[in-house]
Amino acid sequence: MSTVIATTAAVVALAAAGALPVLATVGLRWFAVPLAPLAGAVVAALSANASLSFGGSLLDWFVGLAALGAAVVFGVWVVRPDLGPRRAPAGTGGGGVHRVAGIVGFLLVVATCAWSLRGLRSPTVGFDARAMWVMRPGWFLQSHGQLLIDMKARGLILTQSAYPPLVSASTAVAWKITGVHTARLGVTTVALLNACALAAAALALVESSRGLARRVDRPWIPMAVGLVAAVLLIVVAAGVTEPFLTNGYADPLWSLAAVGAVAFGLQLHDDAGSRAATVVLILVAGTTKNEGLVTALALIVLVTMRSIGWAGLRGAWNRWRGPLVIAGCELVALAWWPLLMKSIGARGATSTFTASTDLAHRTGATIHGMSPYLHVLVLAVPLSVVGGIVLSGVRRRGGVGNDGWGWLALASGLVAVGAALVTGSGAIGPWILSTVHRITEYPILEAWWIIGFWAVVAGACLGDRSAGAGARAEAAPDLHASRSGTAPANEPVGVTG
Amino acid sequence: MTAVGSPAGAPRRPVRKVVVTVVSAVVAAVALAALAGQAVRGNRTVDAQLASGPVHNATVDDAFYACIDTQAHSLVGPGQTVALGGTNLADAVTMIKGFGGWVTVADSASRADVVLTLHNGSGAPGTCLGTRVVGTYPSADGRTTQRLGTGAQVAGQGPPPAPPL
Repeated sequence: MSTVIATTAAVVALAAAGALPVLATVGLRWFAVPLAPLAGAVVAALSANASLSFGGSLLDWFVGLAALGAAVVFGVWVVRPDLGPRRAPAGTGGGGVHRVAGIVGFLLVVATCAWSLRGLRSPTVGFDARAMWVMRPGWFLQSHGQLLIDMKARGLILTQSAYPPLVSASTAVAWKITGVHTARLGVTTVALLNACALAAAALALVESSRGLARRVDRPWIPMAVGLVAAVLLIVVAAGVTEPFLTNGYADPLWSLAAVGAVAFGLQLHDDAGSRAATVVLILVAGTTKNEGLVTALALIVLVTMRSIGWAGLRGAWNRWRGPLVIAGCELVALAWWPLLMKSIGARGATSTFTASTDLAHRTGATIHGMSPYLHVLVLAVPLSVVGGIVLSGVRRRGGVGNDGWGWLALASGLVAVGAALVTGSGAIGPWILSTVHRITEYPILEAWWIIGFWAVVAGACLGDRSAGAGARAEAAPDLHASRSGTAPANEPVGVTG
Repeated sequence: MTAVGSPAGAPRRPVRKVVVTVVSAVVAAVALAALAGQAVRGNRTVDAQLASGPVHNATVDDAFYACIDTQAHSLVGPGQTVALGGTNLADAVTMIKGFGGWVTVADSASRADVVLTLHNGSGAPGTCLGTRVVGTYPSADGRTTQRLGTGAQVAGQGPPPAPPL
């Protein structure tokens, strides 16, 4: 079987495992398409957890969990037909031009993502990929007893064995169902998952532009800006993440998934579909790499805060239950692997915090090491300040999230990674030199997404002939009853100011 | 058509409208121009992966590890447990990269059926860029036998070009 066919089969299998849960929670929306394989990858990661915890083969758990998810979905649809996949998607009303923008946006995003994967024409398998990410799948396919030895044997020296399982588990599924056990198949499968995460983040821009376009006189302006920004964002992201986008590293996947999670969870309308997309992307980020895990935990807190909102803080206790239940489930799923690693005594699962008192030196070295990679902030910060002063009303009226949420999410990821460097036990100089270009991918990509989103918001303002005239009237009670007749239930329920 | 945000009766403020429109145009133009500029750079970064140098290096790297893998297969029989020997960290990493995914790692190195090590020398025939996998087999009487890995070779002198970290 050729690598192309094997990769296609692997992604189809992952998508099949994730399709129904995504369809049930996100609905029939364009961004559900790239989320399906990502959800399948999360199922693969959970299967690795279960296989290592309870025994049984990874593939058995993968099939079992996928079947369980499908059964639950069908059960819900039977009991509650109104929750079926053909329910009206929230927040994307509008006429034919909106639908056309959705189709065109999806096709452009898919085509640009495919084009950005042309680096796969080089047979590169990255250093860490060969040493870890696409080597460990072989362990996941061995017996339970042998897997425990692989994870614990001190003679293997590989301290990264305890890293989260998603990339290796997805590759293991790909190997098992195709019978092709090559590093190359691992690289191509991970690259397609990267492309799915990138497509989800880009489609969030398209989706936001369609949402904002519902509220303006010339909807084609924000939608056109959204399409252009989404396409450009993909090419930018490919440049930021290469060569790791196509050589089997895990850094692009968690970074891109985190950007998508911020987009859907903290910037777009707070509707059910966006929340479901956020859950999938947070789980992808948190089960891919340790840096992603820390960032995902921060995002869970932020998304929960946004969902509870000021109304929840003022005593609307019914606003607490749903977000807290979702956050609790996410925490359980994310904590499973690291706790398991601790409990079995896996290599690398012990704390690496340093007892060094030279934290000032390490902090300085970290800041100096990261700074050259974060020049995008020189543009993003003033753009956000100007946008926040002049265009915040447009965002508010559009029902999208406050820009501050995006910056909080960016800062959380940056601080988390920086803190790991500062408090880690490795020699700070070589550590930064060998990793800084990868561990700064998330804040860089997040900043570019914020820039793209401000372009969309500005486009919405240009498409609104009354912009500025009513800038102070955004809090008027009828603002959310848009001319498209969308029910108020579709409007944001979180903190959007 | 009444736009959201301009309820009937609200006073028009032409100056503010002009300011908001101009700022919007500037923000959109700057953001899209920056994205476009960075996209051009990003495009070059992707294209650089396809230049002859990186592709050649990747091909050599791939051939090297495939060679190591084949030689290890020639030394390890079905069901045999393996320990990675040697004291060189770089060799241990090379072995993990080459065949760490499929060997049955022994619970304890002293109980392994085969101890695999790398012998780095000149780029002689039968080697992978000068490296050869060596299997050491302990026997019950305390003596050991050694075998050299076979089945693949890559001409030239190693180590293979280091891929980006």
